[in-house]
Amino acid sequence: MVDFLIGLFLATLITALFTTRLYRLLFWYSLNSLTLGLLALTVGSRIGDTAMLVSGGITIALKALAIPYILKTLSQKFRLSRQTPPTIKTQYSIILVPAILVFTFYLAEPVTHMVQGNANYVAISISSLFLSLLLMIEHRNIAPKIVGFLSMENALFLLGTTATGGMPMLVELGIFFDLLMAIVVVNLLLYREEVES
Amino acid sequence: MIGYLATILLLLLLAPILLSFIKAVKMRLLYKRPVSLLQGYRDFSKLLRKESLVSEEASAVTRIAPFLVLSPLLLVLFYLPPIAKGAFYVSFVDAFTITGLLALSTFFLMLLGLDSAGSFGGMGSSREAFISALVEPAMILTIFSVSMMAGDLGVGQAGVNLAHHFPKEHMASYLFAAISFFILLIAENGRIPVDNPETHLELTMIHEAMILDISGPYLALIETAASVKFVIFASLFAGLFLPFGMDHAWPVAAAIFVVKLFAVALAVAILEVNTAKLRLFKVPNLLGIAIVFAFLSLITYYVLGA
Repeated sequence: MVDFLIGLFLATLITALFTTRLYRLLFWYSLNSLTLGLLALTVGSRIGDTAMLVSGGITIALKALAIPYILKTLSQKFRLSRQTPPTIKTQYSIILVPAILVFTFYLAEPVTHMVQGNANYVAISISSLFLSLLLMIEHRNIAPKIVGFLSMENALFLLGTTATGGMPMLVELGIFFDLLMAIVVVNLLLYREEVES
Repeated sequence: MIGYLATILLLLLLAPILLSFIKAVKMRLLYKRPVSLLQGYRDFSKLLRKESLVSEEASAVTRIAPFLVLSPLLLVLFYLPPIAKGAFYVSFVDAFTITGLLALSTFFLMLLGLDSAGSFGGMGSSREAFISALVEPAMILTIFSVSMMAGDLGVGQAGVNLAHHFPKEHMASYLFAAISFFILLIAENGRIPVDNPETHLELTMIHEAMILDISGPYLALIETAASVKFVIFASLFAGLFLPFGMDHAWPVAAAIFVVKLFAVALAVAILEVNTAKLRLFKVPNLLGIAIVFAFLSLITYYVLGA
């Protein structure tokens, strides 16, 4: 089950890399966070960790529902361009994405010996970290860059969940509040941009 | 033996119904009155009664090609994964054979388009060549990746192995292979993001452009070939990616299998309603995503074993 969810996580991230429309991108991000939350719930119920169950629930509520909705309303409010063509052409991305994946799978090999439990998850979360970096790089517009930043946070959460059996509750909550603050800052930035222009 | 032959007969009989089913679901979702599920049979019998006109420029290819379009597909029907346990015949053919037979059928379809010397036929043939050249590598990669997980290169035996031992530990790469194969199913059958089977709009059509000049019983053969192709892909999907419910008696297993086929058709119909047709030069991107997922499935299996 965890393998299935982790596959779905990577699949939604790769699909997000190839989307050219903003709302579709937000949809894939929301699906990505949903699989992440379900993964945390599954792992948490297996190892009997209440803190992880709570953070999985918060992930679904916040990242899968609230943040995409807020971003959508923000993009409507500031009339962001809904077409977000990547600056890296799709035919190059098709070469680049498998190259990144192969590279990170081998890159994560030394790290995986240090981790007890299933080592594949570390490799997949590091590769999704790099893929979200690519998502930030390949777009010029601000909205997909924000989504790339948020997916990077998702990848780190995945790393924390699967490799270490969950970060301390306090750290998780801090990260969630950070994310909300980031959205507020983005709102302010967009507002200033509109006032100045 | 009887079960094996009955399966093939069942697939042949289901083929027109599945395409009509997709059309009916789409019409219902668009608030139209849906067509009957038997519309495929009605079209077939109507076309058989019509006379067939052949262009003056056409050579013997036009008379031979419709049979050669259909026959490789009929051959593939015999090699599909069995639908129930203890099957009479489990085929040994691998990804290359199945892809090659499908490509042979496509080759004669392209010849048929070129032979009538109309400009639409040539255009349709070149587009079909363009798309099927991109479909083949992804399809071979996908089926090989699934065969690796199943532990057998033969497609039929792979289906049996998957039903016997579902690859729980390889779920991630299995999922990638399934995504890739579903994109291929859509592309190769000319469904909406790639080709719209219902219009005769000259700029967008691919499959219809090749068969514009064909009429009568020949057209009936080509239409049958299209529906058989869909049923091949749907049952490959059902056999390789939905491998459950096979250890019942033959009638029950066949019923479950038919339900799976209709589920695949329903998924295609819902996808068709919800997406717009891609521009022709955007189609390589979609197929590129299929190749990425197929490759990803292989490397996830090899490097990570996940």
